[in-house]
Amino acid sequence: MKRRKTTPSGVVEAPLDPRTQVRAKEEGLPSVNEGRLRTYEPGDNVRRFLGLLSSRITRSLAVSLTACVHCGLCAESCHYFLARPDDPTMTPVWKADQIRKIFKRHVDWTGRVAPWWVKAGGPRDDEDLNRLKNIVFGSCSACRRCTYNCPMGVDTGLLVRFTRGLLTELGIVPEGVFNVSRDQWETGNQMAVTETDYLETLEWMRDEVRTELGTDAIDIPVDRQGADILYTINPREIKFDPRSIAHAAKIFHTAGESWTLPNWGWDQTNFGLFSGDDKLGAYVARNVYEAAERLRTKRIVISECGHGYRSTRWEGYTWAGYDQKLPTESVVVTLKRYLEDGRIAVDRTRNTEPVTFHDSCNIARSGDLVEEPRDVLRRVCTDFREMFPNRRENFCCTGGGGLLSMAEYRPLRLEVAKIKADQLRATGAELVCTMCHNCVDGLNDVIKHYKLPMRVVQVLELVSNALVVPGTNERTKHRL
Amino acid sequence: MAHIEIEGRRIEVNEEGFLAHPEEWTEETARLLAKAEEGLDGLTAEHWAVVKFIRDYYLEKNLAPMVRKMCQATGFPLMKIYDLFPSGPAKGACKVAGLPKPDGCV
Ligand code: SF4
Ligand code: SF4
Ligand code: SF4
Repeated sequence: MKRRKTTPSGVVEAPLDPRTQVRAKEEGLPSVNEGRLRTYEPGDNVRRFLGLLSSRITRSLAVSLTACVHCGLCAESCHYFLARPDDPTMTPVWKADQIRKIFKRHVDWTGRVAPWWVKAGGPRDDEDLNRLKNIVFGSCSACRRCTYNCPMGVDTGLLVRFTRGLLTELGIVPEGVFNVSRDQWETGNQMAVTETDYLETLEWMRDEVRTELGTDAIDIPVDRQGADILYTINPREIKFDPRSIAHAAKIFHTAGESWTLPNWGWDQTNFGLFSGDDKLGAYVARNVYEAAERLRTKRIVISECGHGYRSTRWEGYTWAGYDQKLPTESVVVTLKRYLEDGRIAVDRTRNTEPVTFHDSCNIARSGDLVEEPRDVLRRVCTDFREMFPNRRENFCCTGGGGLLSMAEYRPLRLEVAKIKADQLRATGAELVCTMCHNCVDGLNDVIKHYKLPMRVVQVLELVSNALVVPGTNERTKHRL
Repeated sequence: MAHIEIEGRRIEVNEEGFLAHPEEWTEETARLLAKAEEGLDGLTAEHWAVVKFIRDYYLEKNLAPMVRKMCQATGFPLMKIYDLFPSGPAKGACKVAGLPKPDGCV
């Protein structure tokens, strides 16, 4: 029998590194003391893992665990496998089978628990659980492209997130995932930005826009009661790249919008989506929803962020068990409305470089927002061109699923980014636009590694650049 | 552990190109990191103003400064930071200043 040629598995062998977990325990952080943030304890983890597995199985998970017919169709949709075609451990089905076989051994499809010790196999010790960690965190960006292409409706993305959630309960997680979860539990935002730093950065951006437009009438309001829009952002905007806040402020001002940021509950990102921890997901999302309620706003608007959009717009309401009372939308939808209603005027000849659009997995495939960004781009750019594949079939930027915060998996991530690099290069575009801060960093890594002559932009930047501000005939200096 | 080789020197870095042992940073390391990671041939006084501020802030607080603090301390406008360090404040300037990778989606 002829054997298929295989290369050694690309799964990264990263050891469990609980150093920052130990420190968090020593410091007695409230989230650790109160059991919200779980830390690693050597001991009976396999038994706990199996117990959690059987208690958490839902009907849709059971379907995804049992319906796979191993047809292999999904392999071709995964950028890991496409870039390493001789490595079976990169296929979605192999990754899902690692949890599937544990399930089959220990729990049957009705969810009835079989005694876990009946059969050997499955994870034997913490080492095995750590290996599982390296698969579900390190070899999958949770982009759900395989899910979208499975004829049996198997949701491998869901299985991956589910497994991540079990490991998170045991503290068997990459260091980066622990650190970001810690910061979001402890400070309400994933970059541990203090209230003072938050407010001062907003004031700084307000002053920048005032200078740019030559008017003091512009404000970046915080906690304004009864504003129409509650604007929520990604902490990365505050900490490292606040230009997007200035762009938004300039556009809101020009559109005559009544808006506010909240003093608390402003982080729309949500590491619970990546770590699989629904409790964290609920906590962060609830902060946003309660801010809107407290300020009696009519709408929640989410700045450009893929996983934040998916979490706040869709899954957060479920995690938090919160009745959705307000329309919750991406700022790109808001921009589209301004353009259609004539609330802002734009001059597309200010954006003449060829620009292509990268659909974020969490926005297109998992968020159902597909044509709106294109409508906006066609109005503000002269040369918009699609990449192929696109829309719900687009390839991940490769930094999804929280991978940007897990340095140990970066070499594999950049290797399989070859697929993304080829796709970007084929467009011949000079700009790649995306409505996700995470994708910005993911794409920047790809561009740098593969030396592509491209720059990443976001929708707000292009709209801000094309914006015609009444009273100023000239184009405002585009320094922000 | 990954490393970069440059000008006959070997620098231990993590997989993201951030210094593996941030305490071992020297000005020479900064120059080499800037060349290897940011494609910069030599650092100007303006680069050094940013790098030294970040370095001091980190040694004092064990934390990467916000970009606002970088601008305040140096008097540079925001865009200047991007002009100086193509990969931006976090993956550019903080890396050259020998900080560990900042936490979060960056
Ligand atoms: S997950 Fe779906 S596409 Fe993939 S092997 Fe199973 S049935 Fe086939
Ligand atoms: S979710 Fe994406 S990265 Fe993960 S196995 Fe499926 S296609 Fe591959
Ligand atoms: S980072 Fe962007 S492309 Fe990648 S999974 Fe998230 S949304 Fe998708």
